[in-house]
Amino acid sequence: MPPITLLAIIIGVPSILLLAYVFIRGTTGLRRYILTRIVLTVPMVFILGSLVFFIMRVLPGDPVSSALGPKGTPEMIQQIRTQLGLNDPMIVQYGRFLGQMVTLKFGNSLVGGHRPIIDEMSERFPATLELIIPASILALVVGIYGGTLAASRRKKATDYAFRIYAVVIYSVPIFWLGLILQLFFGVKLGWLPISGRIDPIIGTTLQTHTNLYFIDSLITGNWSALGSVVLHLILPTITLGLIQSGLFVRITRANVIETLQADYIAAARARGIREKVLIYGHALKNAMIPVITLIGLQVAILLAGAVLTETVFSWPGMGSYLVERISARDYTAVQSVITVFAMLVALISLAVDVIYSLVDPRVRY
Amino acid sequence: MDTNIEKIPTTPPDEITWEDDLKKVGLLRRLLRARKWYGADWWFVAISSLAVLFFILVAIFPSWFAPYTPDTLVGPRFLAPNEIPAVSVLIAPSDSTISSLKDLAVDENADRPKVAVVMGASTSGDLNDTAKQIDADLISEGNGLRLRPVIERYDSLDSALQAVADGTDAVAVIESTEFAGVSQNYTSLREAGSLTGEVVSTSTKGFVMGTNDIGQDIYSRLIYGTRIALIIGFSSSLLSLFLGVPLGLLAGFIGGALDRLLSLVMDSLYAFPGLILAIAIAAVLGPSILNIIIAISVLYIPTYYRIVRGQTLTVKEEVYVEAARSIGARRSEILGRYIFPNVIPSVAIIFSVNVADAILTGAGLSFLGLGLPPTIADWGIDLARGQRFIQTAPWMITFPGLAILLVVLAFTLMGEGLTEIFNPKLRDR
Repeated sequence: MPPITLLAIIIGVPSILLLAYVFIRGTTGLRRYILTRIVLTVPMVFILGSLVFFIMRVLPGDPVSSALGPKGTPEMIQQIRTQLGLNDPMIVQYGRFLGQMVTLKFGNSLVGGHRPIIDEMSERFPATLELIIPASILALVVGIYGGTLAASRRKKATDYAFRIYAVVIYSVPIFWLGLILQLFFGVKLGWLPISGRIDPIIGTTLQTHTNLYFIDSLITGNWSALGSVVLHLILPTITLGLIQSGLFVRITRANVIETLQADYIAAARARGIREKVLIYGHALKNAMIPVITLIGLQVAILLAGAVLTETVFSWPGMGSYLVERISARDYTAVQSVITVFAMLVALISLAVDVIYSLVDPRVRY
Repeated sequence: MDTNIEKIPTTPPDEITWEDDLKKVGLLRRLLRARKWYGADWWFVAISSLAVLFFILVAIFPSWFAPYTPDTLVGPRFLAPNEIPAVSVLIAPSDSTISSLKDLAVDENADRPKVAVVMGASTSGDLNDTAKQIDADLISEGNGLRLRPVIERYDSLDSALQAVADGTDAVAVIESTEFAGVSQNYTSLREAGSLTGEVVSTSTKGFVMGTNDIGQDIYSRLIYGTRIALIIGFSSSLLSLFLGVPLGLLAGFIGGALDRLLSLVMDSLYAFPGLILAIAIAAVLGPSILNIIIAISVLYIPTYYRIVRGQTLTVKEEVYVEAARSIGARRSEILGRYIFPNVIPSVAIIFSVNVADAILTGAGLSFLGLGLPPTIADWGIDLARGQRFIQTAPWMITFPGLAILLVVLAFTLMGEGLTEIFNPKLRDR
């Protein structure tokens, strides 16, 4: 079974089950909302894809002549242009591009083994997934815990510390944070590996099924591989996660403070409920809703951060694939990767919106 | 009793309101007094604007701050911060007249002179380079003399010096600081000066932030890098401001199909990961400063558009706009005189945060090797270069990153403080 199929099953089956649950148990309003949201994703993907096409085709600069460099004769350039279909009328190219987006058949790459681009991407995509999931979890944990702590100790040292943290972490260049972590934990202390997903020697013993090394080593019971995978994950996860956490700290803090001033909190306090229960049980629960919205908005920052993090840590994911293909001037692959990123953005924000509507009973459209 | 009555003034005192008070003082003093209203936020804005002004000063006059130009090769490669560059010196027998390597030159067919060096020391490289250069000079002079020393490597300083004292080798080439400690053991040897015969300058200072992989001063490159960072930050933000604000005003004011179409495009652009879009644009356009500015400004048009459109929609419904419309003001007049001034504060806030974002994105692009030609002194490029030497020369990555952090922090704090001051509703949060 090809890895991409297995991956699709791992992601697809739970989402379908979730949707099925919603449609069976949910209210009419909820059902209608989710259906509308799914339908609205189609034009979003369409617009994002067209944007990519527009940028790649309409801006000046000829990918073929720059790929061939000074060696390229006009005949060679023409031949490759015809081969890639760049000489066709713009509308034909656009139609073909939209077709590729629907079928995911992006053609073969211009460099290396000339393999189908979708195959290369399906090898890289699990690595990115394995990076952004733990990073998002870290960002949420740090952000929600820190924000709540800051709000509950308002105008005290803890509060100011977290506020300063939020502003400073927002200003740190993500690739520099990665480099500094590498320098400290990798070079100076020598505790953690600074590049790759797995130790190359241990990596040969790992049987890959999904290309998510964490899952692969778990299902095959390869414990030394699991240890190596986790060690390699730590630094990139911290890099990407901490950068994201700043905004979560701010939003959580602001919202918890706002909810703490609500009447029902005053009522609860009057009933003698302990402050801890008040903050974590009552205020945080209600303050979470805008935080979930933020997750959807953060997707773009998360993916952009992943590109830089992957480059710093030589992480073989989609981001480093994009950067590699740009330096190899593989124009077809670049366009395909960016298109896939656009589709990812649309899909993830769809997922976040659906979860949002499930979590917050007040949202009824 | 009588005196008390006389003290009562005959005319009532002028009623002084705070508004009149404010009118009497100048703008500067008014700004200074504002700190009583705004407290901590006032200090944020004050300190960060001073920092921003300082960075702008550095960017305009980098030569006031940097001791060298960014491209000059100032010294040895990979010199740690404040490390004094080691100078290679000749150690010769006291009775010889040798004062430079050139004195070792012999006839084409004569025995080549033996030179002792310590294994693993940097001096052997110096010896090689200097000898080659002198040899080339000798060949061009053409009087039959050549300098092709046989380099003998010893595993300790003592054995190298002993070889010269015994007469096995003609001279030894060691670091200038090493001989002072052991000179009393080798009374028959003396320090014969530098390899080229020039006076060894003892006052040689190190470099504050060290040197990079080709021997450029990292501090000077840092200073000159400010210019590129601020140029990219300001011009791309200005470009997106000039495009985003009018579009937002028009969409909000006119509404209808134009609004829907523009909003659709802008929302998609906003949802797209900014850096990836910039990567695509920069990759298609090719490396140049103008192209990186275009690539980044495209990302931030939606930010201005969304805020300005939202503000316009709110302000449009205000009573004073209604009043202006009812006395027959033209649409352009309403837009220019009543709506536009109301969006200026928000635009100022976004601009400040936007410059910070643009600098970060620009650094990210050049770190990936996109956007800027690799010869330019830029923080992102320097960081990418330093990454390859993270094991041996960590100072190459620490300082440029700190510079980005400080500049971005100044702009972010300014934006933060301005937000709190302009939006008093949020101040208590």
